[in-house]
Amino acid sequence: MIRRAAWWLPLGLGLLVLYLPLLAAGLASVNASRHGLSFEGFTLTWYRQLLVDPQVGAAARTTLVLALVSTALSTLLGTLLALGLQRAPWSRRASAALDALVELPVVTPDIVFAACLVIAFSLLRGLSAWFQPGLLTLVLGHVTFQVAFVALVVRARLVLIEGELSEAARDLYADGWSLLRRVTLPLLWPAILAGALLAFTLSLDDFVISFFCAGPDSTTLPIYVYASLRRGLSPTLHALSTLSVLLAALLVLGLERVSRPFDAPEATP
Amino acid sequence: MVRHGELTSAPGLRRRGLLLLAPGALWLLLFLVLPGVILGAVAFCARGADGQVEWTPSLGAFRRLAGYGILGWSPDYLWILVRSVVVAAVTTAGALALAYPLAFFVASRAPRWRPVWLGLLSVPLCTNVVVRTYAWELLLSPGLPPAQLAAWLGWIEPGRALYPSLAAVCLGMISNALPFAVLPLYTNVERLDRALLEAARDLYASPWRVFRHAVLPQTLPGLTVAAVLTFVPAVGMFVITDRLGGARHMVIGNLIQQQFGPARNYPFGAAVSLVLIALTLAGLALQRRRGRGPL
Amino acid sequence: MIRWLLLTLTALCLLGCPAPSSGSGAGGPEALNLYIWSEYLDPALVEAFTKETGTPVKVSLFESTEEMLAKLQHAAGTSQYDLVVVANQSVPAMVRLELIQPLDPAKLPHRAGLDPSFRNPPYDPEERYSVPYQWGTVGLLYDAQKHPQLEPSWAVLFDPARQVGPFLLIDEARDQLGVALKYLGHSVNSTDPEQLKAAGELLLAAKRSEACLGFEGGVGGKNRVAGGLADLAVVWNGDANRAIEEAPEGKLAFVVPREGSIGWCDVLVLTREAPNPAAAHAFVDFLLRPENAARLAAYTKYATPVGAAREHLPEADRANPVIYPPDAVRATLESLTDVGDSLPLYDEVWTAVKAR
Repeated sequence: MIRRAAWWLPLGLGLLVLYLPLLAAGLASVNASRHGLSFEGFTLTWYRQLLVDPQVGAAARTTLVLALVSTALSTLLGTLLALGLQRAPWSRRASAALDALVELPVVTPDIVFAACLVIAFSLLRGLSAWFQPGLLTLVLGHVTFQVAFVALVVRARLVLIEGELSEAARDLYADGWSLLRRVTLPLLWPAILAGALLAFTLSLDDFVISFFCAGPDSTTLPIYVYASLRRGLSPTLHALSTLSVLLAALLVLGLERVSRPFDAPEATP
Repeated sequence: MVRHGELTSAPGLRRRGLLLLAPGALWLLLFLVLPGVILGAVAFCARGADGQVEWTPSLGAFRRLAGYGILGWSPDYLWILVRSVVVAAVTTAGALALAYPLAFFVASRAPRWRPVWLGLLSVPLCTNVVVRTYAWELLLSPGLPPAQLAAWLGWIEPGRALYPSLAAVCLGMISNALPFAVLPLYTNVERLDRALLEAARDLYASPWRVFRHAVLPQTLPGLTVAAVLTFVPAVGMFVITDRLGGARHMVIGNLIQQQFGPARNYPFGAAVSLVLIALTLAGLALQRRRGRGPL
Repeated sequence: MIRWLLLTLTALCLLGCPAPSSGSGAGGPEALNLYIWSEYLDPALVEAFTKETGTPVKVSLFESTEEMLAKLQHAAGTSQYDLVVVANQSVPAMVRLELIQPLDPAKLPHRAGLDPSFRNPPYDPEERYSVPYQWGTVGLLYDAQKHPQLEPSWAVLFDPARQVGPFLLIDEARDQLGVALKYLGHSVNSTDPEQLKAAGELLLAAKRSEACLGFEGGVGGKNRVAGGLADLAVVWNGDANRAIEEAPEGKLAFVVPREGSIGWCDVLVLTREAPNPAAAHAFVDFLLRPENAARLAAYTKYATPVGAAREHLPEADRANPVIYPPDAVRATLESLTDVGDSLPLYDEVWTAVKAR
C-alpha cells in the first residue's frame, strides 16, 4: 500500500516530537555549564545537588504517597462501582444516569474539575479544618477522577465475562457471594490491576488538580517543578526531569512485565 | 433471566447493586456533581470588592466575558475563546496526522516487537506534563540548534528563543497529545479486517481508493476516539500554554486559572468554566453524531 | 485485590506515611511556617535559627503579591502559615480582610535597632502589625553588552518608537502599574480612575507589542535576563544586584529610569490563625538582630532597615549605588501606600491587563 521507507518518516517525526526535548534535558543535565548552551564537560554535580535537596525529597515522597493512597482507594471504590453498575437490573433511565455520572470525570476538562474541587473544599472547610489544602484534599481530588477510570476499565471486562461463566456457576447453585469470590473476582483480577495501574499513572501525571488542592506541606514534584520553572531554568531541574523520564521508562517496563501474563492469550495470535 | 442464590428478585438485586455502587457514586456526587452545580450558580454572582463571592444575582461575569470592562469594550475574551478552539483543533489535526501512520506502523510490526514500540510511545505518558513542557522550554531556548535553525531561516532574530509563541504552544501540545492519539488508533488498526483490503485489491482498486473505501471507514471509530482524547484536554490546557505561550497568547485554560488564582474572581472564573464545558460538550456531541458511544 | 492492598500498605509503611495534617501544618508541631518571595532569605540564616532555637523552619515561596493574597484569602492560608513577608502597602488591606493579627511588642526587643525612619511608618503608625524586612527600588536590569547605550527611561518599554526588546514586565500589580503611572507623570498611588485607565492602556499596549515576552514574578525576570532569554526586565534592585555579581564583569547592568520609580519596603506580618506565634516572634526578633540583618542584606543584596546592621555589612555593599541609591535617584523615588477604596480599581485594571 505505502512504500516501506515511508513508514519510517512518521515514526521518526513522532519519536522526535516525543523524545527530542527529553533528550535535550538529559544532555543538559550532565553539562557542567550552568546556562547550558555550550557543552563544557560531563558532570554529575546537578544530580548530587538534586538528591540532597530536602524539598525535592519531600515532594517526591508526597507524590508517591499520594499516588499509592489514592490508587488504593479509587481501585476499591471503582471496582465496587463497576460491580454495582453491571450486576443489577437497572432500569433504562437509572442506568443512563449512572453511566453519565461515571463518564463525567472522564470528559470534564482538568481545569474545570479543579475549579469544582476548589469550590467543594472551600465550602467543606466551613464544616471542618480537615479540608484545608493538604495531603487529604489532594487524595480526595485524585480519587475523584481516578474512580471513573477504574470503573470504566473494570466494567469493560465485566461485560465480557458476564455471559457463560457466571451462568455456568449459577447452574451449579453458587450464591451471590461465592459467585463473586470464586468466579467473578478471579476473572476480574486483571482488569482491576489494569484499572489500578491506570489510576496510578493518572495520579503521577496530574498537575492541574494537585496545583489547586495542595497546601504548603503537600507540594508534589510537578508543583515543585512548575514553581521552580517560573523562576527560570536550572541544571538541577534538568536532572530532575531526566530522572523522572528514566523512572517512567522503568514503570512502563514493569507494567509490561506485570500485565503480560494476563494479556498473553490475546496478544499471541 | 434466571438468577439463583439468595437474591433472585429484581428489587433485591437492585438493593445489592445500590449498596455496591453507593460509595463511589456518593463520592462523585459530593466532590464533582454538587460543586459543579455550585460552580454554575457562582457564575451568576458578583465579585466583592476584596475578591470574595457576593451571593447576589449578577450577570457581571458574563458582561465581562462579552468584553465590557474597565478599559472599555474589547473583543479580547472572544479572541481568547477563538484562539483556544483553533489551538485545540490544530493540535488535534497535528496529533492525528502523526498518530495515524504511526498506528499502522506499530500494527505492522511482528507481534513480538509491538509492545516495545507501544512502550516507547507510552513512556512520555508516564512522565508529568510539567516535566515535558519544561523539556520543550529548554529545547526551544536560544543558542540551541532548533532556535539557531529558525534564526538561520530568518523566522526569528538570532539569539532569541522560539517561545513564547503560538507555534511553540502547538508543538508542545501535539507532543503531549500524541500518545493519547496513537493508542486508541492502534487498537483499532490492529483489528482491521484485512480480508476487505485483499478483496479491494483483487478488484484492482487504486491504493487511494483502497484507503478511501476500505481502510478509512474501518478506522473511523479509532479516529474519533483519538480526536476526542486529544481535543478535550487541549481545549482546557493551561500548563503548556502558560509556559510556552506567555502573556500574549492566553487561552481559556489560563484565563480560568487566573480567575481562581491571582485575580481572585470566582464568578468570572466560573462563567468561563461554563463556556469551556459547553465547548467540551460540543466536541463530544460531534463525536457522538459520528456513531459510537463515548470513549 | 487484597494482595494489591497489602502491597500498597506495605509500601506506605516503608515510606513512613505521614498522617494528613489537620490544620497545624506538618513538619512537626512546633515548626515555623514562613511564606515569602523566592530567593529572598538566606538559607544559612534559617539554619542558624533552627540551630539556636531547635525550631525547624518550613519556607514556602510565592512569586507575586496577588498569588500570596489568593492563598491567604481563599485557600485557608491564614492558618497554614505563621509569618508572611509582604509589601507594606498591603498591610492595611490585610488588616481590613482580617488576614493578620497584631504582634506582641514585648517579644521583639531588637526592634529598637531599626533606623528611625522606619519607626512608626504611615502604613502601620503604631507598629502593631508589622516589622520592616528589607527595602529597595524598582528598575531595569539589562544586558549591557547588547545595549551599552540604553536610554535610562521607562520609554524603552512604553514608547513604541524607543522600545528595546525582548523585555519582561514584572508580575506585581502595584509595582508595574506604579511604574506606568510614573512614566505618565502621575503619582504611583494615584486613585484617579482616568489616570489608572491610562496606565492600564499603556501597559496593555506594551504587553501586546512584539518585544514583550510577558510577565514574570519575583526573580523570574532577573533569571531570564541572566539566562539570555530577555534583554531587559523590570526587576527589584537586589535581584538585579545578585545577577550582576554572578554574571561576567560588565555583562549586566541596572538602572532606575529618570522619570522616577518606586521606593518600597517589605515587612513581616503574623497571620490571624498562625499555628506557632511564639516561634514567629522569635524569628522576627532573630532577623532584627544587627548581625543577622546584615547577613540577610548581604545575601539578598537589598538594603536593610536595621540601622545598627550597617556596620556589619560588607564594604562593597555599603558603597553600592544599586543598593543604596545616591540622593539624586532617591529624590525621584515615591513610596507605595495603601489606596484603600481604590484597591478594587487597581485589581480590575491589572486583571484586564493580564487577561486581555
